[in-house]
Amino acid sequence: MDAHKPAYAANSVVGVKAGRPGARIKVRTVLLYVLLLLVTAYMIIPFLWIFSTSLRLAKDSFALPPAILPTSFVWENYLEVFEKVPFAAFITNSIKIAAIVVIGHVLISSMAAFAFSRIKFPGRDVIFLIFLSGLMIPSQVTIIPQFIMISKLGLVDTHWAIILPALINPLGIFMIRQMMLTIPHSYDEAAYMDGANRMWVFLKVILPMAFPAVSVTSVLLFIANWNDFFRPLIFLNTYEKMTLPLGMTVLTGLFGTGNLSAVLAGVTLSLIPPLLFYIFGQKYLIEGLSVGGLKV
Amino acid sequence: MNSKAVRDALAGYLFLLPALIVFGLFIAEPLVNSIILSFHRYDVITPAVFVGLDNFIKFFHDARLLTVYSNTIEFVLILVPLHLIMGLLLALGVTKVVSLKWKYIFRTAFYFPVLVTTAAVAVAWVYMYDFNFGIMNYLLSLFGAAPIPWLNDPHWVYVSVAIFSFWKFVGNPFLYYLVGLQNIPKSLYEAAEIDGANATQSFFRITLPMLTPTIFFVMVVTLIGAIQIFDEPYLITGGGPGDASRTISLYIYEQAFQNHAMGYASTVSLSLFIIILAITIIQFRFSNRWVSYDQE
Repeated sequence: MDAHKPAYAANSVVGVKAGRPGARIKVRTVLLYVLLLLVTAYMIIPFLWIFSTSLRLAKDSFALPPAILPTSFVWENYLEVFEKVPFAAFITNSIKIAAIVVIGHVLISSMAAFAFSRIKFPGRDVIFLIFLSGLMIPSQVTIIPQFIMISKLGLVDTHWAIILPALINPLGIFMIRQMMLTIPHSYDEAAYMDGANRMWVFLKVILPMAFPAVSVTSVLLFIANWNDFFRPLIFLNTYEKMTLPLGMTVLTGLFGTGNLSAVLAGVTLSLIPPLLFYIFGQKYLIEGLSVGGLKV
Repeated sequence: MNSKAVRDALAGYLFLLPALIVFGLFIAEPLVNSIILSFHRYDVITPAVFVGLDNFIKFFHDARLLTVYSNTIEFVLILVPLHLIMGLLLALGVTKVVSLKWKYIFRTAFYFPVLVTTAAVAVAWVYMYDFNFGIMNYLLSLFGAAPIPWLNDPHWVYVSVAIFSFWKFVGNPFLYYLVGLQNIPKSLYEAAEIDGANATQSFFRITLPMLTPTIFFVMVVTLIGAIQIFDEPYLITGGGPGDASRTISLYIYEQAFQNHAMGYASTVSLSLFIIILAITIIQFRFSNRWVSYDQE
């Protein structure tokens, strides 16, 4: 976009002392805001169009000019979404799957991270390296044998097909381990002196202190699973069991050519859980990223 | 071994047990199985037949494979620099914003699309790209520009996916950079100012070097993600027109789950694994030449 931006942006910090700074800094600040506002508009306009068009009559849904602000208020489109597809089930299925995966991750990954960072045992570093290299195995490789295994177990078209493989999260284990490594050993030693056992030290001392890393990996994992399209596409067939991303394609298939407004009503509804999630989760995400660090 | 060492080993493996089980079942075992599968013909219904090197011979004579791999490379070459550079510029810009309120607004606007369901908004974007009724061509027409065949031209599809991808995902690198920038100690800039460094100098001598671990992290993650790009071609372009935007992940999916050529799909997926492995190793090998972890 603008190759000079970093230089000028950094300028305004030091530039205060320059000759006639006032005017120049003002111009730069205005320019900065204008550029950022342009990108903001770019980010927001699709959402406005989605919402405005979702409120049009079916026969007007493709009509030009497209709406940025609502031109009519046909809330019936929203009812239609719930009547034609099990939309509420899509959302609850998605939340259920993402929540179970995150809970499983918090238990499994933090226990593994505790072993990797706090206990010395033979084979530890080799296993850690093998886990890490698991990061590089693309899901396209594992999905085919997983599909065969899950078919044999009779778990196709169940939520377990999505949940079970997602329970292992090498990046999560790695990030929590890195955080646990920074906790001084005097904390556990003091607890052990007081007669605590390992489980107690894990649950009451180390896990709470590694909370920023646990929470940030949980938030990232929730987003990843909430958005996952690939696995549900392969494993789920029944409408009632589908997750929101997959359900959206069903909704499009049903309405796509006739009533765009109903499709976009579904899209608008799909934005509500992420909005709530952002409002309540962003604090943990940003704090966790700041403390947890992102070093590979 | 003394009894403490035995107890430690026991505890270590107990804490590791859940992670080991899930890793073994859903990553290690599938990897081994997909190697075995690559020597077989298997359509899920009839039993697998050992075919020796047939799949590998087919692999080297598959003309479409060349197309889908070069498409994938094209996506990587467009998307990785786009996210790496634009994410950084946006983060630098927002860091310069003094008003906390505006900082929050910009951060929310840039990050929120990351959280929304990819499939849902991708569906909406397909309509935005519509040649006759889409908002994109309507906006162009306001400036007197000719309509663009966003999804019907083998070259424009890449632009379309890039525009969508920037909107949907630039928030990720943006947030990582924003946190990385926040973590650079202010004292470094103050010291540089006292030493008479100008803004350009402190950007290239402080900001950029201090940010290299974040840049490296974003690069590794973005690159691995871009090589495996699936949702965008599946949902927006359908791989088309023709094979113009069919990626390797989409091709593997179609071979495995539409043609039921599980053996051949495994062979292709292993080639993707080897490529990702090689690229990641190269990235880490060269990282010590430019990533500095030592300034804390």
